[in-house]
Amino acid sequence: MSGGETSGRGRPASKLRASGVSISFGGLKALDSVEIDVAPGEIRGIIGPNGAGKTTLLNVICGIDPPDHGAVWLDGQPITGLKTSRIAERGIGRTFQTTKLFKGMTVLENVMTGLHGKMRASPLAAAFGMRSVLREEAEAARRAREALEFVRMLEFADHEATSLSFGQQRLVEVARALVSEPQVLLLDEPAVGLSLTRVAEVDELLRRIRRERGVTILMIEHVIRLVMGVCDRITVLNSGRRIADGTAEEVMADREVAEAYLGADLDA
Amino acid sequence: MARLFSRRNVVAAGIVFFAALPFVANPYVLFIGNLALMYVLLAVGLNMLLGYAGQLAFAHAALFGVGAYTTGLLKLELGLHYGLALVAGVVLATVTGLAVAMPALRLRGLYLALATVAFAQATLWVFTHWNSVTYGGAGFRVPPLDFEPFTSRPDVGVYVLTCLIVLASVPLGWNLLRSRVGRAWVAIRESEVAAESLGIDVTRYKTIAYVVSAMYAGAAGGLFAGMLGIVTPESFDLFQVIVHFCMVIVGGLGSIWGGLLGAVGLVGLQEVLRAFRHLQEIAFGGLILFTVLVIPGGAVSLLKRYVPGWKEPLRRTEHDE
Repeated sequence: MSGGETSGRGRPASKLRASGVSISFGGLKALDSVEIDVAPGEIRGIIGPNGAGKTTLLNVICGIDPPDHGAVWLDGQPITGLKTSRIAERGIGRTFQTTKLFKGMTVLENVMTGLHGKMRASPLAAAFGMRSVLREEAEAARRAREALEFVRMLEFADHEATSLSFGQQRLVEVARALVSEPQVLLLDEPAVGLSLTRVAEVDELLRRIRRERGVTILMIEHVIRLVMGVCDRITVLNSGRRIADGTAEEVMADREVAEAYLGADLDA
Repeated sequence: MARLFSRRNVVAAGIVFFAALPFVANPYVLFIGNLALMYVLLAVGLNMLLGYAGQLAFAHAALFGVGAYTTGLLKLELGLHYGLALVAGVVLATVTGLAVAMPALRLRGLYLALATVAFAQATLWVFTHWNSVTYGGAGFRVPPLDFEPFTSRPDVGVYVLTCLIVLASVPLGWNLLRSRVGRAWVAIRESEVAAESLGIDVTRYKTIAYVVSAMYAGAAGGLFAGMLGIVTPESFDLFQVIVHFCMVIVGGLGSIWGGLLGAVGLVGLQEVLRAFRHLQEIAFGGLILFTVLVIPGGAVSLLKRYVPGWKEPLRRTEHDE
């Protein structure tokens, strides 16, 4: 349903590409000519010290902060300047650094909200409870349950979402982003504040998302063992600039990275 | 014993009560019942905008007034059939709601509150000073209504009409809220950024919230003009705004049943205190305070606690337990 890019042949080399992206907030240059090129099916990590512009880059990609310069392409089609909701419908899902589950909704309702862009019920048809609307609702509930099962949170479907533990809320948020079957998933620190066993679960979940759902993942993460273990490639940002891009080994060996980021950690 | 207070029985008791009222009540009690049902419309509509979509907008009393003035004036000046005048009132209130939504969509929180208070005051000024149309501060009398083939008593006629409109529009609202529209509203209330990132067009769904709640306010206004028989500006002043908010907050923010309970309860309280005019304002203020401090979920959270099987879609529950 999303997009319409059914060209088939000549499959683009990159799933998601951003080029020359710059953005300033009140004189502070948050991103400066940043490049990123993510291949289909890749799990890409973004690392960098605090204030490096990692979250800003995700916000630029999903349209929350339109860039001052530069452009973003999904499957070779420009998405720069589109509204966030349109970009979401094109197939980019995301989660947030501080989980943003909706209070007052159950876990299931939260995940069903993720299907909004895939649903067609008009307010009028919904108010009159048309058969087609009820059928669509039932189908949405079924898909939401399936997404919850995928993240192994189905047993909590009828719980108040914000009553769950922090780690559980993160999983529900992933389910909510996944339920619409996005092509690309943007994750902002999925493992922050989780115990080591939980981090291992996230590692396994990310691999399953790619394997079983064919989703390309771009994720910010501070938990180094997760980044090093699961990411195909890593992009390193520092002060709004991309200072390295490569496999875990390449990035680790990079002098500028060591100085800007990992070095500081090792010294500490 | 618990079975007796099941959800179905509670709802059925309410319906039986209001259905029996025209047969057993004296005209005064019937009028109060009518007033309560009219406020149910208003409160349910306001709750959609305030409780579900989370927009702190104070334009509701003004839209209520637009509905009342339009219906009353069309009946008075053009002798239009009451039903048609009522529909016109709903349409004009809805258009006005849309006009409010345009600038309001860009505003949030305190700024939205201030802008909509200004709108409410400006509307009140128009009601009071546009003498050639609105008859100024003294208002005007609406010609007696005529429900002749059905009943010779206009008050019973308006009452039945109000009942029918409530019975039709509250379930419509219920359906709307349990669809993707209701979920979009709650998502916007909790986080506009997260809502957008899930494909929800925030501007579009906020506009829908303004329009739908304006329809309810317009219908309530038109019925108000018909049942009261007199339209004056003071029915739509800032104290009325407080009364409307009180209904929604005391009944339960973000709950259809909350709007129902709040409207019926507060109209009752207002009548009990009718003899002590100054006490009304103190009582309403105290009631809001009491609700916020002691039962933040509103009266409906008590229903949820004591009536087995009480469930409602998208119901805030964090304060209920």
